[in-house]
This record gives sequence, structure tokens and C-alpha cells, in this order.
Amino acid sequence: MFLALKEMNRAKARFGGLMAAVGLLVFLILFQQTLQNGLIDAFVGGIEKQSAPVLVYSVDGQRTLQSSVITPELQAAVEAVPEIGRSAPIGIGTFSTTTDGALSSATLFAYTEVGLGSPTTLAEGRLPEAAGEAVASTTGGEIAYAVGDTLVIEPGGEELTVVGLAEEAALFATSTMYVTWPTYESAVASSNPDARAPLPSVLGIEPAAGVTAEGAVAAVNAASLDADALTRQQAADETPGVAQIKQSFQIIFLLYGLVVPFVTGLFFLIITFQKAGSLTLLHAIGAPSKRLVAALLVQVVAVIGVGLAIGIALYAPVANADIGGIALRFQTTAVIGWSVLLLVLGVLSALLSAKRVLAIDPIDAMHGQGLGT
Amino acid sequence: MTVATDPALVMKAVRKVYGDGDDEVVALDHATLTVAGDEIVALVGPSGSGKTTLCSIAGGILSATEGTVVVGGQDISGMQAKQLTSFRASTVGFVFQSVNLVPFLTARENLLVVDEMGQRNRKVARARADQLLDELGLADRANNLPGQLSGGQRQRVAIGRSLMNDPKLVLFDEPTSALDTKLGEQVMELIRSEMASRGIAAIVVTHDERMTHYCDRTVHIVDGVLAA
Amino acid sequence: MRIALLELRRRPGRFVTASIILTLIALLLLFLGGLLDGLINTSTAALRAQRGDLIVYSSTSESSFVRSRIDPSLRQTVAAVPGVTEVGGIGVAQLGARVPGNGPRDLADVALFGYEIPPTAVDEPPADGEVIADEVLKSDGVEQGMVLELGPARTPVTVVGFTTDTSFNGQGSLWGSAATWRDVQNANRPDAAVADGVFQSLVVVADGSVAPGKLAADIDAATAGATDTLTITAAIDAIPGVTEQRGVFNQILGVTVLIAVVVVALFFALLTVERTGLYGVLKAIGGRSRTLFGGLVLQAVVVTLIAAAIGGGLALLLDVAIPPGALPFDLSVGRIVLSVLLLLFAAVIGCAFSLRRVLRVDPASAIGSAS
Repeated sequence: MFLALKEMNRAKARFGGLMAAVGLLVFLILFQQTLQNGLIDAFVGGIEKQSAPVLVYSVDGQRTLQSSVITPELQAAVEAVPEIGRSAPIGIGTFSTTTDGALSSATLFAYTEVGLGSPTTLAEGRLPEAAGEAVASTTGGEIAYAVGDTLVIEPGGEELTVVGLAEEAALFATSTMYVTWPTYESAVASSNPDARAPLPSVLGIEPAAGVTAEGAVAAVNAASLDADALTRQQAADETPGVAQIKQSFQIIFLLYGLVVPFVTGLFFLIITFQKAGSLTLLHAIGAPSKRLVAALLVQVVAVIGVGLAIGIALYAPVANADIGGIALRFQTTAVIGWSVLLLVLGVLSALLSAKRVLAIDPIDAMHGQGLGT
Repeated sequence: MTVATDPALVMKAVRKVYGDGDDEVVALDHATLTVAGDEIVALVGPSGSGKTTLCSIAGGILSATEGTVVVGGQDISGMQAKQLTSFRASTVGFVFQSVNLVPFLTARENLLVVDEMGQRNRKVARARADQLLDELGLADRANNLPGQLSGGQRQRVAIGRSLMNDPKLVLFDEPTSALDTKLGEQVMELIRSEMASRGIAAIVVTHDERMTHYCDRTVHIVDGVLAA
Repeated sequence: MRIALLELRRRPGRFVTASIILTLIALLLLFLGGLLDGLINTSTAALRAQRGDLIVYSSTSESSFVRSRIDPSLRQTVAAVPGVTEVGGIGVAQLGARVPGNGPRDLADVALFGYEIPPTAVDEPPADGEVIADEVLKSDGVEQGMVLELGPARTPVTVVGFTTDTSFNGQGSLWGSAATWRDVQNANRPDAAVADGVFQSLVVVADGSVAPGKLAADIDAATAGATDTLTITAAIDAIPGVTEQRGVFNQILGVTVLIAVVVVALFFALLTVERTGLYGVLKAIGGRSRTLFGGLVLQAVVVTLIAAAIGGGLALLLDVAIPPGALPFDLSVGRIVLSVLLLLFAAVIGCAFSLRRVLRVDPASAIGSAS
């Protein structure tokens, strides 16, 4: 231990350089992990946080809330399915709104029955009761709404008042408002004078007693080729783009994750090679190989540990930033998970160096040779 | 080969001092030495005697604190590092104690290193390298790496390298210290014949009195002072 | 210099692992860059293809086609502004298209544009009921002559030709006459119905007498603020996500390049320490620091170029392996060149950290005590 730390102290620049490299890599990995989670949350968080366990889209909607339209015929066909307990229309639309004089986008999520589309939990306030009231998501969009704030639908001028807040229940990375159906109808008319009465975008379904969500999904899909039923989680996961985001980031994490053990492995291989002479000497005068290997591992753990600390320190301030409506959060599970993984990879990467240390022949000290040619 | 008439080395009252005040270390004290244009001088002394310092100053690797140093007619006493580098590339040759061949270059390439560090005339250099290798009996080893050569062969490559730039003076630093008597004698014989046949001056730094009879003259040095 | 190259050739082992790391970094730069370009290209292609100079939205639309409406009288006002040569309406409907031969639940995502001024690579608007399709839709099975059924109302349109690079919001686009678009819109999106003569936005061609920026302001002034006119470039930047994606990705790329600098600096510093003895000998026989450092930089450049070549090869393989439409990945020559240049830049800067050590090597270290 003494030897390991002494050496690091004497060669501050090179160990410092390695720690810096690891630190930057850790920062990028954690940041992108948070970015991925924040992105997905900003686009489909609202789906996960609303109360209908099953959502029925029209097939034409291709699992996109904005594109799905439920015709009266389709609604009738779905509601006739015996596995359905309760069913209620849900309407979704994105509007231009003005808040405090500034123009921004807001998505309205309109439900007709509490428990089928309304937010599952409220962080503050209450559900809308009268027309013109809304529950705002705390994230999504650049404006942080508070209870009592008002926004105006453009160009018509229809006004909404925030009466409650739902935690991280955003859709499409915009400000998201949960309203009752009459409010939605007025908003649609307000934004487009040519518009006719809006049709539902999706249906919120509660399965009948004794039927699972998956059972209800299968039954609805079997009943009509125009219906595309999904459980709440499926609806979130299979929104177009979500799978792509996950795939892209997986490749990115794989590559960055590989760089870390390669960098530490190469570094320790080179310095083990370079101090071959002194290692041979130590071994010749009686230091057990195991002690030398332990010293190596102490250094690896120290380097990765400090690298993790640097990376997390760089990550923490950025972790709570807001990028264009995407709220980032410090993700403790990700931090712990990656820390453990990188420590293990780092130690594994030093195994090659450890093997070399163990292969030292003390007789080489007599000939003035180390591990070199 | 014309016989050189200028002395290869003229050192006058050269002092080399490290540190200052109470911590002063005098490595070389008022050293005066002249080496003729085709002379081989043995410089003998115990370790720490200053022989390496004198050799380094003569070769333009170190600057003297005081005194004048003229090598092959060139006064290098006041030269700056850059000028000394250029001087070394053109005027002196070194054969180091631990040979110091570049391990990943072949024998021929080790000779060509001199050209790459200095003049940059590849064609001429290549011809010269091949000629030297031939004269040193290494023609068939030209493409071998140092690891594939014997100790004596490596020594000869080093000598070849020292001769590449047609130097006025070659400095040998303890050429036989790592060798047994027989091999050591072979090397000294080689040095003698190569230097004499080309009429090149050499200083052979050694602490081994057995080898001095290969040189024209022996100079002793103790504690930084040359014996009168 | 030759020594540096010979060392690379004869002792590749010590450079191989550094090369592997730089290859991973090169692949990262190319993958991230390709992802960024893909995302932005598929979002913005339809706008980039426009032949006009300006796009006119209604003022409360927040530069979104879908939320914008321009009625005929507003259009007349815009057309009358000095500096305006031509005004063309444009509108888009995003829906699912049923492609013959695909399963009943397997729809293609399309963006149907009704247009008047043809964008680049698109001809004059076809007859009503006909559309020109973007090539990307071929991977969904769309072929020349096919009749696609759009939206829940299954409005039929016939594909009469193809064009390329006109995607919108990641969807393949269909280009049809204004009437085609209105029919589809009204049949499928009752809440976004459009009357005759109404478009979502206008494409404006300027005659060049007024600078585009000023013309945009003039138009907005002429309509008394009812419009929000943007240059095509500004409209592209206004597409949601574009500036944020660019910003975040470029920051990540920047930090990655920084990591490359640190990696090169670290490993070449270690390498230099190992070669101090060699440098001492070379300096003793007359080698200048400049030559030695040049050799070092040359090695870094060669190692980086090899890494870039392998990384580039892998990225191209990835590009081919990714099925079209699975990931928005677009690897252009420009992106490859930029990534290689960034990596070379990192290599040279990384070497600079070893310069001092090379300069400090003392030729006297070669002489005297054994190495």
C-alpha cells in the first residue's frame, strides 16, 4: 500500500493524466445516461403517469398519440368487447400558447373520466373541476408552471388556469396540461376556426374484473383490425423514437464503456514494463510477488476511484440542468451501477500487468535486466 | 588520406564547476591537453576523476565553465547548445560505454542515423555506411538487429557509427569495461587499426591499465587534475 | 523521421493498444456525428429542399406547419410586398399510409405535402390524387404506380414518381397538389380542416432586390404582425429539437475530442519517458530536439490515421448494417473528414505535452555511467 501510494505521489502528472481521462469518460457516460432517461421521460413520461392501464390507438396512428384518431365506429367496436370494464375517450393536441406574454407550445391531454387518463398522482393542488382548469406537468417545456398560473391558447384567446401539478408527466418535450374534455373542445375551436368537433385520439380502458391488462389488449386487437391496443408501459416503450433512442445510446455506452478499461489497462501495462527494473530488484530482495500485485491493484482502484469522483463531480452540476424542455436529474442508481461496472472492468484490465508482475524472475536482478528486451 | 596537420584537440586551462558557493564541485580543474591530428590518447583515472567530464567537454556535449576548447580547428568554447549540436553532428564521433545502438534499427540503419540527425544526404550516406560496414567486417550483418549481433559485433557497429560523419576526433568512453580480457584486447586492436588507418585522432577513456599499450600516449587524471 | 517510422514498423506492439483506444474514439466521433446528422437531416430535409427564400407562418404557430394557417387575404398581402416575386402555398398532413402487400397493422409513416412551388428534385405538382414519394419509402414497400391509402379515412393516392432527401420530422414525404392535400386533411383530420385557398404556410421567392432578412421583416410589418416570416435557415433551426440536438451532441463530441487529447498526451508522455535514453544518445551524436520531436508527432499522426481508417471502416460497416429506417444515421463524407481532422488535431495537441520532456533530455546522459 505504502509503495503503491508513494509511486503515485512521485508521478503525479502521469497518474493525474490517467485520472483526468477516466474522469472525463465517466462524466460523459453519466451525462448521456441522464440525457437518455430525460429524453424518454420528456416524450412519454405523461403516458406512464396517466391513470388508464390500457390505451387503444387507431392503427393509423402508428402508436403516435398525435396521429391517432378514434372514429365513432371504432369506439363502438372496442366498447363492445366483453373484456373491457370501463372505457373513456382521451384527446391529445399540441397548441401555441402564451404565458406571461411569451409564446410557447403546450400539449393538452384531455380525459373524460377520472381514473382513465387523469394523472395518477398529484404533486400539488387538485384535479380540474370546471372548464378552463388544468393540471400542469412539472417538467417538459421551458416554463415551470405553478398553481395559479394562467396560459392563453392562441390565436383564439381561450384561457387555462393551473390548479394542480403532476410530477414529470410530460409529452413530446412540451409543457403538458391535463384537462377535461370540454376544455379541450374549446381549445381546439380557439386555435382553428375551421375545425369541427374533435374526435378522441385514444381510448383509455380499464379491464373488466378478473381480466389482466394484457388480456384486454389481446381481446381488443382481436376484435378490430383498426384498433391498436397497448398496455400503458407498452404504449410508452413503443412510441416511435423511444426504441431508437435506447438503441443509439446502447451503442454509445458500449463504446465509451470499452474505452475506460482499455485506457487503464494500457497505462498500467506500460508503467509495469517501465519499472521492471525496480520491480525485479524488490522481488530479489524478498518482496513477495503477491505484495507487488496487490500494490498494482491498489493503484488501479485508486485511479478509477478518483476518476469516478472527478466524473461525478463534473456530472452533478449538469445533472440537474434543463435542455430545451428536457429535465435532467441526478440518477443515483446509474451512478452506483456504472461505478461498480467500471471498477470491475478496471481491475480486469490490469490483469495482464499483474500476470507480468508475477512472472518476474529474481535472477534477472543480478544481470541488470528487467522485463525488457 | 591526407595527414592531418592541425591538432585534433587543444584544451587550455579548462575548468568545469557545478553548483556555487559552499556547494561548489570542481569536476575539472585547469585541464590543458593537446591531441595531435592522428594521435590515439588513453585517458586513465579512477571513477570520479573527471575523465568523463573532460571527454564530454572535448566532444561538445558539455560546456566548460572556463578555458578554451578548439576541436579540429574550430573554437567551441563559447558555443550555444544549438551550435554544439550541429558541431557534434559534423565533427566528432562517440562510442559509448554501453554501446547504445538503437535496438529496433539494423546495423546499417544504425549507421544511417547519423545522416538523419545531421546532414541529410541519403545517397552519399548509404554508400559510406556500406563501405564502413565492409571495412569493419560486418557486410553480411548489415541487415541484422543489435539483438542478433554478438557483443563484439555491436561494438564494431558503434565504431562504424562514430566514423560516419568523417570526424576530426572520436571519443571512446570505457570501450572494454564490460568485456573479458580477450574480447577487450580485440576491441582495442580494432580501435587502433581503424583510427590509425584513417589518420583520425581518438581519446580512449579507460580505467583499465592493461589496454593503454594500444594507444600512442597515456594521460592520467585524478580528482579533476591532469597529471603533468 | 525515418527512425520514427521504422520504430512504428518494427515495434508495433507498443503502439497497438493506443491505436485501439483511438479507434474506439474515432468510431464514437463518427457514430455520434452520423447520428446527429441523421437526426437533423430527416427532420429538416423537406425544408432544406425548398426552392424559395422565406417561409411565412402565422404568428401564433411557433413555426410549426401544423399549427399555422394562412388564409387567401393574408396571402395577397404577402404577395404584394415589394421584393416578392412568387408566393406558393404549402401544407402538410402526417398520417399512416396503408401500402399494398403490407400487413393490416403495418403502416408506413408519411408526411403528405400539398405544394405549389416545387422544391429541388421535385417536379411540378402532379394531378389531383397523385403523389411523388420520397425514396426512403421504398424500404416500406412503396413502388411506382401503387395506390396508397392514407389515414383512417383511407384516402387513396397514386404514386407516380420518386424524389430523394425530402423527409420531414423523420417521416418519408409524399408531394401532391394542394387539392390532394386538402382532401386528405379534411377527410382524416376534422379538427384541423382547411377551407379552399387556405394553406398552413407560404413559400416566398424573393427577386433579390431586398435582403432576405429585411424582406422577412417587411412581410411581417405588411401583415401587421399576423405573420411570422423566417428565412429557410431560421425555419430549419426553429424545428423543435434541432438546435438542442446540435448543441448537446456538439458538446459531447467536444468532450470526446478532449478525451482523445488526454489519451494521446498520456501515452506519448509515457513513451517519451521510456525513450529518454535513446534521445540522449541521438542528441549526443548531433540530433536536434526539433528532429526528435518531429518524429514523435509523426508517430502520433500515423497512429491516429490508422485508427481513423479502421474506425471509419467500422463506421461504414455500421452504416450498411443498420437497416434503413431503424436508426436515423447519416454518415456523410463531410462528417468523416471533420472527425478525422478533429482526431488529428487532438493527436498533435496531445504530443505538445511531451515537448518539454524532449527538450530537456541532456545529451550528456548518454556518456558516463551505464544506461
